[in-house]
Amino acid sequence: MDWSIVQLILWLIAGIVSFYFSLGSARVWTSIAVGFGLTLIGELLLYARPFLPAPDIPQFEAMGFIVETISILVMSHGFQEYYVFSRTLEAEGSKLMVYLSTIGVIAGSLVFILINPTPEFDNLRLIEVVSLTNWVFLSLINIDLIRKIYSNVKDSPIGKGFLAFMLVFIFMFLWKGSELYIRVYDLDILASQFPFRYNLSVAVSNIANILASLSVGGTFLSLARLLR
Amino acid sequence: MILLPRGNPVKEGIDPGKVNLPEALVKLQKGHFTGYLRFDTTQGTGIIIFDNGRLISGLFETAREKLIAYDAIFTVFERSLAGNASLDIYRLSSALAMSIHALLHGNVLFLGQEVQLLDIRGLLGKLKEDKISGCLRIYTKEHIALIFYRAGHPLGFFHDGSTDIEKNAENSLSVAKLPGAKIDVLTAEVSEEDNLADLMASADLTQMWAKAKQTVALERKSKENEVSRSLELREKERRQKVVVLFKGIAEKSLGKIGAQLAEKEFEKALAGQGLVSEAVLNDFYQRLGKAARLVAGPSTVKRMVDEMQRGIKTLLKTA
Repeated sequence: MDWSIVQLILWLIAGIVSFYFSLGSARVWTSIAVGFGLTLIGELLLYARPFLPAPDIPQFEAMGFIVETISILVMSHGFQEYYVFSRTLEAEGSKLMVYLSTIGVIAGSLVFILINPTPEFDNLRLIEVVSLTNWVFLSLINIDLIRKIYSNVKDSPIGKGFLAFMLVFIFMFLWKGSELYIRVYDLDILASQFPFRYNLSVAVSNIANILASLSVGGTFLSLARLLR
Repeated sequence: MILLPRGNPVKEGIDPGKVNLPEALVKLQKGHFTGYLRFDTTQGTGIIIFDNGRLISGLFETAREKLIAYDAIFTVFERSLAGNASLDIYRLSSALAMSIHALLHGNVLFLGQEVQLLDIRGLLGKLKEDKISGCLRIYTKEHIALIFYRAGHPLGFFHDGSTDIEKNAENSLSVAKLPGAKIDVLTAEVSEEDNLADLMASADLTQMWAKAKQTVALERKSKENEVSRSLELREKERRQKVVVLFKGIAEKSLGKIGAQLAEKEFEKALAGQGLVSEAVLNDFYQRLGKAARLVAGPSTVKRMVDEMQRGIKTLLKTA
């Protein structure tokens, strides 16, 4: 069964919700919401290629992985900022700076991809592994960070929203973790030799991907309701 | 309270704090003044007696102590400068001034006896028998009369408005007939004939005045500091009450982090302001509103700020 369309639609909803949330909320939420919104762009670049006019341009795929890497970095940065706020009660910076910095990093990455030789299969594989590694380890770090934030704000109106984020990162860990497992052991290439491991990993990845997109959309909707 | 008949008034109800007293005393000296100056102050009564331009006596009496001579003059200066004092100047004859001096520095034999309950005849007999020199002071709230005695024999009378020892008993005895009249029996230790020294000749009143000024200035400063400290303390207490109120409401609305935010933003709003003013409160509401948006929505924040504004109104009315 091809889950791509379902995943794409769900990420589209989740991405739009998170971007919309970033516009109307306080500055400290911007990085978090923008990070989740970028996941949508990354997914679009990776899975919407078949529907694009030139689907076989490898730079698209490379940018997809890079944008996904940037997305987990930006949202992790956002959670770090929120953690600092929950401890020191100080929040700095501006929304515009977050938007501009993110666009700047993406533009820089694009230039990097364009000025270098066209990525081959191995290059793309490596870029993907780097992206997945970032996702896996930062998901674990974020779960711990969000646990700490939750303990600081648990009795505030927003408290339960952080429990939802923990769930989001558990799904993301499973999604990206299973993807990383497949790539590290080339299970997609060696599927015939390790059918169970490969099929299980693909199933976990697909289910966790859907649950992650659903929980992201749900979490931001719930946050929007809590911050009404 | 020193009870003396008013004599012949020269000036009454002057604020001695607005007068350069050493200069005024020099004027009285040069004018060969005879009489007394009465200073009613918040801490006691001072009497300065002049005889023919010589300052022969100074007395300052409080509920606890009786100061004489230079100490009395210094205290008169000090209390005059401290404010809320009144100066009356009465002209007397030389004999009366000396008698008043003797009386003020004498001892009290009986105090505050009800005239109606007293055996006057018996008392006069006793004065005669004991050959007492001094005076009977008969007084009501409004009037005072003195009857001077020497060796048990009456010398004369002194009542409000008289400048000399009078032989006519009518005015003085009329005080005794007034309802509620009381009588003191005072003995004079100093003989009226004593040649008393001029205190102005042996003391630098200008220097004394300057020192009194310094003392009063210090006293004022210390009082001001005390008032300022007390105001500071009251403001601190008020501030604490406000913080407790804000923290309570913020915790109810935003949880533990709300209380922390309220405390921190209040401190920031108050920084360098000192007093909890309308401007400080408005700044605080603005700051808290902004910070609270990180953990709660606008409606929750508005509800919280509204409750704080209501609470502070009630608190400031009672604080």
